[in-house]
Formats: sequence, C-alpha cells, structure tokens
Amino acid sequence: MPAVDVVVIGAGLSGLTAALAAAESGARVQVLAKGHAGTHWGTGGLDVAAVPEATTPRAGIRKLASMPGHPYAVLGEDVAPALDWLRTVLAARGLAYEGDLDSPLAVVPTSIGGTRPAAILPAAQAAALGPWGSGERLIVCGVAGFKDFWPDQIAASLARPAIWAGRPGPAAVEAVQVELPDLEGRHNLSAVEISNRFDRPAWRRLAIDRIVAALESRALAGGAPGRVALPAVFGLDDHAAVFDELRRRLPLAPFELPLVPPSVPGMRLYRALRAAFVAAGGRIQIGELVDSVERDGRRVTAVATEAASRSHATRTGAVVLATGGIASGGIVGDQSGHLSEVVLDLPVEAPAFADWLAQDEFDPGGHPLEAAGIRTDAELRPTDAAGRPLFDNVRVAGTLLAGQRNLHERCRDGVDLASGWRAARNLTGAAARGPGAPVGAASGGAGSNRS
Amino acid sequence: MTIAELVNEAALEQVGYSSDQCLKCNVCNTACPVARVTDLYPGPKYAGPQAARFRMGRTQPAQAKGLPRLLSPDVTVDYCSGCGWCTTVCPAGVKVAEMNSQSRARMKAGKRPKLRDWGLGQTDLTGRVGVMFSPLGNWALANRPVRRLMELTVGIHHLAPFPKFSRRTFQSSWKRRHKGNGSTPLPGPDKAVVYFHGCAVNYYEPHVADAAIAILERNGFDVIVPPQVCCGLPLISNGIYGEARQKAHHNLDILAEYARKGYKIVGTSTSCTHTIKAEYREMLDIHDDDATVVANATWDICEFLVDLLDKGKLDTGFGRLDEDLPYHAPCQLRSHGIGLPALDLFALVPGLRAMDMDHDCCGIAGTYGMKKEKYDIGMAVGAPLFARVKASGATEAACDSETCRWQIEKASGVRTRHPVEILLAAYKAGDAERAGATAGSPAPATSN
Repeated sequence: MPAVDVVVIGAGLSGLTAALAAAESGARVQVLAKGHAGTHWGTGGLDVAAVPEATTPRAGIRKLASMPGHPYAVLGEDVAPALDWLRTVLAARGLAYEGDLDSPLAVVPTSIGGTRPAAILPAAQAAALGPWGSGERLIVCGVAGFKDFWPDQIAASLARPAIWAGRPGPAAVEAVQVELPDLEGRHNLSAVEISNRFDRPAWRRLAIDRIVAALESRALAGGAPGRVALPAVFGLDDHAAVFDELRRRLPLAPFELPLVPPSVPGMRLYRALRAAFVAAGGRIQIGELVDSVERDGRRVTAVATEAASRSHATRTGAVVLATGGIASGGIVGDQSGHLSEVVLDLPVEAPAFADWLAQDEFDPGGHPLEAAGIRTDAELRPTDAAGRPLFDNVRVAGTLLAGQRNLHERCRDGVDLASGWRAARNLTGAAARGPGAPVGAASGGAGSNRS
Repeated sequence: MTIAELVNEAALEQVGYSSDQCLKCNVCNTACPVARVTDLYPGPKYAGPQAARFRMGRTQPAQAKGLPRLLSPDVTVDYCSGCGWCTTVCPAGVKVAEMNSQSRARMKAGKRPKLRDWGLGQTDLTGRVGVMFSPLGNWALANRPVRRLMELTVGIHHLAPFPKFSRRTFQSSWKRRHKGNGSTPLPGPDKAVVYFHGCAVNYYEPHVADAAIAILERNGFDVIVPPQVCCGLPLISNGIYGEARQKAHHNLDILAEYARKGYKIVGTSTSCTHTIKAEYREMLDIHDDDATVVANATWDICEFLVDLLDKGKLDTGFGRLDEDLPYHAPCQLRSHGIGLPALDLFALVPGLRAMDMDHDCCGIAGTYGMKKEKYDIGMAVGAPLFARVKASGATEAACDSETCRWQIEKASGVRTRHPVEILLAAYKAGDAERAGATAGSPAPATSN
C-alpha cells in the first residue's frame, strides 16, 4: 500500500490548492517543493483574466476559453466553484478577499506608480477597486528608510491622467512620509521586518499613531474626501487585526500596495493555505528537489527527492505536477532550443526555436515562449502529441499547462486555482477511486499521514 | 558549451559557488526565524550570497601581494543560528546557511575562540567532567547564584536550559552490561546495527538510548556500540572547524569499517546524524571515501523504523496510548530531507493523537540560545511554539533533537520526550494488553 495517496510537487497556488482540496476530501497528501517562490513573488491578488474588451473576469474567462488550446477551454467552468471554495478557506484564516468573477475590472495603482487591472483583491488592497469620485484625493504614504516604496515618485507618476488607462483617476495625488517608532536612522528596512513589527500590538499602536498624525494634518488641510495608499507591510500572522486597527483609526480609507518581491500579501496567502493544509492532516516539506520517480507502466509509484544522504522515496498512489513553467524551473531549456520538463520528462509543447527571438522585445502580444507548457486531456493527464494520456495517475496543474500567456492574459491565479482544484477532485473523487489507488478514509489524527 | 563545462563540475558543488545561482529574491530573508525577531541580524541574504563576493577574494591582487584575506564584511553573521531555513526555502539552490557557517568559521580562524564558545563546543569534556562530579555539577547548574556567576564570567545565560548530568555515561553502562561478550562474533548486517548515541545520550539522557536499543532489539536487531566521540556539530556551530575535523576523522575511522561491511549506523540525535550525513562533507570539506560510505550508511532512528515499516518488517504491536502529543520537527531533521518519520510511527499507535506544531524553530539551535547575548532571541523565536504546546493541554510533547527538547520543556513546562520513548511506552502498553488478553478474561475491577 502506498505511503500516501497523493504527492503534490510544487507549493505555489496551484500545488497548495490541489493539496488542500485533496486533503480535505480525506486523502493522505504529501507536498514536496524545492523552495518558496510563486506565492512569495506574487501580489496576493487573484488574477483570473483581464483581456481586451472583457469588462469582468467572467467575460475574460469566456474569451480565453474560446481560444483553442487555452487551459480555460477545459477548465473555464471550474474557476467559479474553486474561487468560492478558496475564499471560504482563506476567510476562515483571517484573510478575506473582495470582488468576484462579475466585478468590473478596475484600474488599480502599483508600488512603482503604474497601474494594472484587477477585480479580486485581499481586503487590505480592496479600497483601490472603487471608481474615483470627482474631487477625491489619493495620498501616498511611505515609511522613512524603506527603499522599496518611494511616495514622491509614486505620487508624481499617479498624478498623470494618462496612467489611469482611460478611467478617471484621483483629483489630486500627494505624497507623505512617516518615521515609524524605533526605526529612526534605519535605512535598510525590509517589508517583512516592518510587517513583523506590526504584528506586535504595542508597537503597532505607536506606529499607527504616527501615521494618523501625518495624515490628519493633510486630510484636514484639504478637507476633500480621499483614500490613502500604503506599502503592504501591515502585519503577517496577525494581519487581519493590524489592518482592522489601521482602518478604524485613519481619517481616510487605506489600501495596501503590493511591493517588489518578497511579497508580504503573497506570504499571507501561502501561510493561510499551508496552515489549512496542515490542519487537514497534510504534510509539506520544502527544500525537496525531486531527483527521480519510480514507475510501473503508466503509473508513477514513488517520487524520490534529494536528501542529506541517499535519496528519499515517497511511495504514492498519484502525483500532481505543479512545478510551474519556465520561470519557476518546472521546464528548463538549453542553448539548442530543447525544452524539457524536469520531473517526468514530459513532452513540452512550444513554438519552434526559430521563433523564440521576437523582433520587438515589448510586443503587445507577448513573448511566444509564454505559451510553452505541457499538453493534457480534460482530466489534466499529460498527453503525447496525438492526445493520448501518458500517465494514468498524474495530473498537471498551474503555470505548467500549455496554451496560456498568463503575463498578458492575467489568468495565472485563475488557471492555478481551477486546475489545482480539478486535479484534486479528479484524483480523490469517487470516479477515480479505482482498487489500485485507495484513498484513505479520515486518518487517525492530525499529521497521521501514513499507516 | 554549458557553464558546467566551463567551470570545474566539482567546484559547482562547493558551497561558495552556489552564490552564483542567487537571484537576490529575498525569499531566504522571509523565512529566517532570527531576523523575524531581532534587527541584530539583517537576514541570511545580506550575510550570505550578498556578501559572498567579498569573501571569495583568495585570488584577488590583494592576496597576491600577501595582504590579509578579505573577511566577511559584517560581524552580524555571528547572529545566524544555523537553523538552515534559508537553504531550505531557496528556490534557486543556494546553500545560504552553509555559506554563513563557513564565513563565521573564516572570521574566527586564527583567533582564539571565546572561552564560552570553545567550552560549548567541548561536549565530550564538559560531559565527562559533569558525569564524574554529577551531584556537584547538577547542584551547580540548578543554583541561581552559580548560574548568575556563570553568565557574568562565561556568558552562558542563567536561564538557559541544561539537563541533569547522568550518574554514569551511557558508554560505561553499556560496557558493563556487555562485559565478556566481546569475543562473540558479530551478527551480519541484516541482524545488527551500529548505534551512534551522541553526547546528549552519553552524558545526560541514557534513557533515550535504553528506549532506542529496546526498540531495535524488539525488531530483531543486535545493537553494536563502538567507541565514538562527539560528532563535532557544537564545534562547527561555534566556528571551530579545525577541532571539528579531528572529531569527524576519529568517528569516520571507526564507522567506515562497519559501513563497508554493510552495517547501518542508526542515531537518536537528528543533529548528530545530519552532521555525519551532510556536514562532514559540506561544511568540513572532507570528501574521502570514508565520509561518503559512512554518510550513506547513516540513518535517523525514526527514518530507520519507517524503512522497516515500508518493508513490512516493523513490529507494529503497539498498545493504546490515549493522549494528545504535540510534536515539533527540529530544524536538523528538516535538513535530512526524510519527511517527518516520527509522525508516521505515531500514526501506528492506537489512541495517540500526534499534533504537528508546524513551527519553524524552537530557538535553541544547538548552543545558540544558551548564550547570554542570544538567549532572548532564541526564546522569541520559539515563543509561538511554546504557546501552542502549552495551549494543547497535553502532559507531554515529542521532539527528535536533544537541545530542542530541553528548550521546549523549559519554556513550555511540558515534559518533552524523544519519539522512541513514546514508541517504547506504546510497545509496553501492547504487551500489557496482550498479557491481559491471554489471562483469559478482562482484568477484574479492583475494589476494596
């Protein structure tokens, strides 16, 4: 009997979604990942689709689903239930999200003074979603000594109407800088360090005092309604309480701007999913690079990872491959134009080598290689060029799936969620429960993953 | 031509060269338990790959002119606890923690180590003396004024957790028990294992060895206890590499002989076994055949028992233990890359509700949290764990590494045991259940 029912390779949004959904249905699940990345480099928002002429994520899904070969062509229907499920899971862990598939795509500011389309954001970023009323001001509030957030530069850029992509922006944009307690003279602050400080209630109170003081003078002087943009540093483990206190005390509605990596909102997402997964009896090991697999015909029977000595094999009933695409190392290329998938050496669908070098490095259509990935059937089993499944008990999820250009279509989180969710349901659902892959009933206590 | 072909392959395996893979993404800094609680340590990236370019200056012109080698640019590297989380979470394979340990050693090389750091590295010496004078030593370690004096003079925090010295070393009791068996031929490697007990068991916790040996014997293995010295980790952690290498070679000489004959080397200290598996090679740069053959033969005891389980060879006659058991996976266990074998074993015990505390580090990190200037940092690192253990309401907890056990027990007030102690209790419960069953009827209720 296998030691676990499902091994999930990768701990980004798609891997954690698959892992948690499978664990919740009673499967014994082991996550193996070589390190942290996807979540820690993202914005914490959930990008489902933002394509020209589609005004909501749902409309975007429909457009993308009509493109042959796009992951949404088979997964489009799964985004809504997967999103509902995820939001319930996260809200229970103090990480509420606002917006849904039918929310209008808004234009929200970024921490380098640009804008991006968004519809579904964590509560702490959600005040950016509403349309700007006439006369409404935006105050950009930075932290002295924090080099990942420059309020003057951000405000100057956001004051240009052109940056708001044809929508009305704020009537005025101002910058303010606050010196936080105990950090005078510091100039190498990191977002994580400030966030950890906000988790401590006593320091938090003093810090918010200073922000309030700085904003009140501005707010009263102007008199006009407005909102305030702050760097995303308001707590990690106690974020909900921190942001609640901030919102209650500030004279203007605050919202966080996600920063350059490492992303605190992304870390909150990771931590909430991880905690839910462990509470559901799942196991997660980070720092585990898969070095080989054992197979029996069209089944993977064990996944071996590099260890301090020897290699460590985990026998399993099924595998979810959520290793990410080229950017995450799930697919690697060499100078001759050969792309390989690193775990199972699956065939990679990709444009011809000759087309890799685009004429225009900022081609609005995106780079052709973005679409490279693994082709699957509707069950998410990897297939060969003729569409025949190569493995019976392997599912592919997330950015590894071929046919998406997630940088331009902004569909990354939606594809991650829908594919992770479907992979889990596929492997643990009654239909997939063959005699060879028994899915354990509720195991005997949290953490009792084997037996 | 690939980079690997341009650069010597072996060089790429070296810790220092892994800095070439650093993307400067800062993920290591987000996972550092020390940087989470103090700004005395800026985080592993700053001390590690960021600073590496200054350290690898051996061939720079300054060296050629006989000028001193470039040192680590920042003394804050001494605040790294060595827990290894940075290496674990790095998505690019940079050996951040190893880099920091090596740069600390380089920083300390040629200087006389602080008496305290040297002393904390001398686990064999302090253990031997402590056991010899154990009543006096135990009185002193429990005595507040003495501990205050120790803090003032030596720099070991007066509240740092110290276990009681044992009355006798495990080695000497073992020899006494097995006197006269010396001439019996050793059983083959499928019937016997070599036990690496480590200093904690030898000088403080012989009951852990007793439990491990009882379990191994119950599963049909004779236990061989060859002479051995400290694995060297306390010296490595304190940047004293030269002496650590001597310890390593001493152990490798003895263990390699068994490993070559096919015997497995099983240890109850995840930190000792990790040192033997990985750090002799990675940190101490010992790359001979002995180091490889011994590393490949070395097993953590729970890893070994799970391997037996997978092969259908583990005696699973565990009886009922009706209790909640908070479990902390030590940092060194994570670095083994073998999952959480203790939890796999606990799952076999009826009634036992093991709870993975899922916390990064207890804060002690070997000898780190014992030091006067680092004690508060260690306690802050482990605080959420201690709170969770306390809140569980459990009467005992489990953890594989000794100093972590002492730290958790001291800080949470909950008795913390090695997994083998729990498993032995479960075997005994099973024996009692079977004895009750064979007596024919349920035990009569006693009433008087």
